[in-house]
Amino acid sequence: MNRLFLALFALVLAVPLAGCQSQSVSSSDTLKIGAYSVVREVFHDGLIPAFAARWKSKTGREVRFEESYDASGAQARKIATGFDADLAILSHEGDMDVLVKDGKVKSDWNSGPHRGILTHSLVVIGHRPGNPKQIRDWADLGRPGVGVLYPDPKTSGGARWNINGIYGAALLAATEAGKGQANLSSVRDLMSRIQANVINMDPSGRQSMANFAERQTGDAVVTYENELLFQNKEGEPIPYVIPRSTLLIESPAALVEGSVERHGNRALAEAFLEFLLSAEGQQIFADYGFRPVNPDAKASSSVPPLPEKLFTMADLGGWAKVEEALYGSNGLWTTIAAERSQSSGR
Amino acid sequence: MAAHAVTTHNRRFDLALRWTSLFYLGVMVVLPMVTLSVQAARPGFQPFWRALVDPYAWHALKLTFFTALVMVVINAVTGTATAWVLVRYDVPGRSLVNALIDLPFAVPTVVTGLMLVVLYGPTSVIGTVLGRFGWGVIYHQPGIVLALLFVSYPFVIRSVQPVLMELDRAEEEAAATLGAGAWTTFRRVTFPALWPSILTGSGLSFSRALGEFGSVVMVAGNHPLLTKTAPLHIYGEIESGNRHAALVVSSVLLASSLLILLGLNALQRRGGVNHGD
Repeated sequence: MNRLFLALFALVLAVPLAGCQSQSVSSSDTLKIGAYSVVREVFHDGLIPAFAARWKSKTGREVRFEESYDASGAQARKIATGFDADLAILSHEGDMDVLVKDGKVKSDWNSGPHRGILTHSLVVIGHRPGNPKQIRDWADLGRPGVGVLYPDPKTSGGARWNINGIYGAALLAATEAGKGQANLSSVRDLMSRIQANVINMDPSGRQSMANFAERQTGDAVVTYENELLFQNKEGEPIPYVIPRSTLLIESPAALVEGSVERHGNRALAEAFLEFLLSAEGQQIFADYGFRPVNPDAKASSSVPPLPEKLFTMADLGGWAKVEEALYGSNGLWTTIAAERSQSSGR
Repeated sequence: MAAHAVTTHNRRFDLALRWTSLFYLGVMVVLPMVTLSVQAARPGFQPFWRALVDPYAWHALKLTFFTALVMVVINAVTGTATAWVLVRYDVPGRSLVNALIDLPFAVPTVVTGLMLVVLYGPTSVIGTVLGRFGWGVIYHQPGIVLALLFVSYPFVIRSVQPVLMELDRAEEEAAATLGAGAWTTFRRVTFPALWPSILTGSGLSFSRALGEFGSVVMVAGNHPLLTKTAPLHIYGEIESGNRHAALVVSSVLLASSLLILLGLNALQRRGGVNHGD
């Protein structure tokens, strides 16, 4: 009896140890991608099958994909700490910078014709059918009685895009009104009125969408345009408005040098990245609700025209600068949250 | 253990088993926790202290302890009452009830959170009615307590129940014969025998509540300085790349749990109440 226990004990100990020695198969026709969660469907159902067919007809060889999807920041950290993805597909430049700093991605990753950007999208506002709360622009989200959803910027790259969009629209309007000298109090005012209307900050953009669509929480959801278009394709359509002035979402992709070296699949990785940026690849992105970065691909016919004022992170001073201005320890968003808790007790 | 009766062979076996168990405990539990504490302490006391008194971290810790305490007080009362009913009364379908009590352990905590949102959320029937009175449950602090109550439901019941079953009813009957009322009997005779087990159950559920993440992240609303508990704060800090801040708050939770569990063990040894020890 006792001996049986010991044997079991040894087994329990041995299993995780054996698991550590996973063999690393290095085949030139395997490609590992580490991507942020939003692109799961477009890659898994659209781009990967299309590329595999192409690769087969061109080289006569099968290509096997190992796909990993995770929140953008988590994916970047995984790759930085040793996950050997050949291709990093992330939500924003800030996360790519992590990989550049760690020497995983070449510092000139953004020097190509598309500056390393794989997809475009817009920060938009989804609302209820018939738009009962008359939501047209950012200011409407700050009106009393409007329930707003966006995820937590601490955990969601999507939330950072959303809040950066609100901040940027207000900042550029204030800069224009002040003839080059922005009065930050109006920016702060808009942001804090919207934050006060936020019902719940879910950990991720997807969860925020589910909360809005399935559990009917709130009157408006701030999100990526492609998330709404995808939702409209899959389930109950959610109508949305593009604010008069909004942020262009630019999501990057780059080869992870060390992994490509080790796996010896540079030609394949480069061919895949090239395909993603080609008219054909970008057309697939467009079918899934993204705005193509390649002018040869046409945006899906159902998407509304671009807004009057479309600005980029570069217009706001770049990712790192906005990051500090909003989410740093004395950042605008950080201090607004503190103010709000004071005004509503503990 | 009668050591003199054991053969050398068996003694060697006992020794091996003992060391294997300790080694296993060390590798699985102690090592990761020591690593965490070392990492948190490495930059020194000043940075540790600064990360701890950061208003966001400090509030998250206060909120975690406060909500856990509210939960424990409720659970101590309802758990003891439930155990009492199960042991002393004829409950129809006792075995089903017994199985149901442990069910919260089997539900993934994220699903727990989701259930509570569906049931009490702002768009549910109950949520709408409560909202009319201006009471917010889900995405407010009461939602956190609700989630903690669910995930720690079995602890007090399961620690009080066996003690209550072992309890010699002759003492209670003697008290009754001597003219003590039901309440006096409970207060003077039954409760003194039960309280160590109530405390054990409460301590375990408190420890459990300190680290609860999955259900709370669904119901809390994640508003910093309002409804962000320590585990949510830790998650946020890790996700935004502030590893040290996350480690510091984690180590405080860890130390608190360790102190509670050590305290309970000491108490049990002194009180002579023995389960699984």
